Amino acid sequence: MSQRSKVIQLYKTLLYMGRDYPKGYDFFKKNLRKVFEKNKRERDPEKIDKMLAHGNFVIKELEALYMLRKYRTLKKRYYEKS
Amino acid sequence: MASLAGVRILIRNTGKFRNPISRTCLRSTVTQLQSNERYFHCKRQSIVTLLPQGTRVKQVRQYSIAEPMSLDLIRKRVLLVLNLYDKIDPQKLSLDSHFINDLGLDSLDHIEVIMAIEDEFGFEIPDMDAEKLLRPTDIVRYVADRQDVYE
Repeated sequence: MSQRSKVIQLYKTLLYMGRDYPKGYDFFKKNLRKVFEKNKRERDPEKIDKMLAHGNFVIKELEALYMLRKYRTLKKRYYEKS
Repeated sequence: MASLAGVRILIRNTGKFRNPISRTCLRSTVTQLQSNERYFHCKRQSIVTLLPQGTRVKQVRQYSIAEPMSLDLIRKRVLLVLNLYDKIDPQKLSLDSHFINDLGLDSLDHIEVIMAIEDEFGFEIPDMDAEKLLRPTDIVRYVADRQDVYE
């Protein structure tokens, strides 16, 4: 798989992940785009690899964020103190 | 009504012989039962239509049937999606305009366009194919191929 398609896949996955972002999809999309455009001149394959790894890390973080949110909601519903 | 009696007898029989007979045997009885039931159902319907009851509304059930696709409809839907995308100028948009060269989108925009098309038609477009869909006509042809629509 070429690096270009890896980047494209990363962008797509992140866009899908951002749909439930707490601050809203538009906010997420705008910032995601900014981040990608900031590094668009990068040509060094090693650096791009590092960035891809960072992107995958961000995906994991987002997953963790959603899990935590779910957990908190459930906890609130079951153990809410009146 | 004879068939109804037959169904009843079958039910009783299966109840009585459930333990000794093997599972496959039971299944065959059940399928027989179902086929009998279907037969019964058809029969009853035909009786109903024979009854003189004035005007009867024929009920046709269409649950969530997909609307019939035509090439023209796909074209319209693709153009609608593209028009709704905020970075595309609706005046410049035509079926043959190139996303990157004519409409001034970059590759990230192109990915977003493809995702919007995926949402509209409800199937996933692999990245390999998405790279080649650079004009609205390409998208229309691709969607038509996937949905088995031909001229």
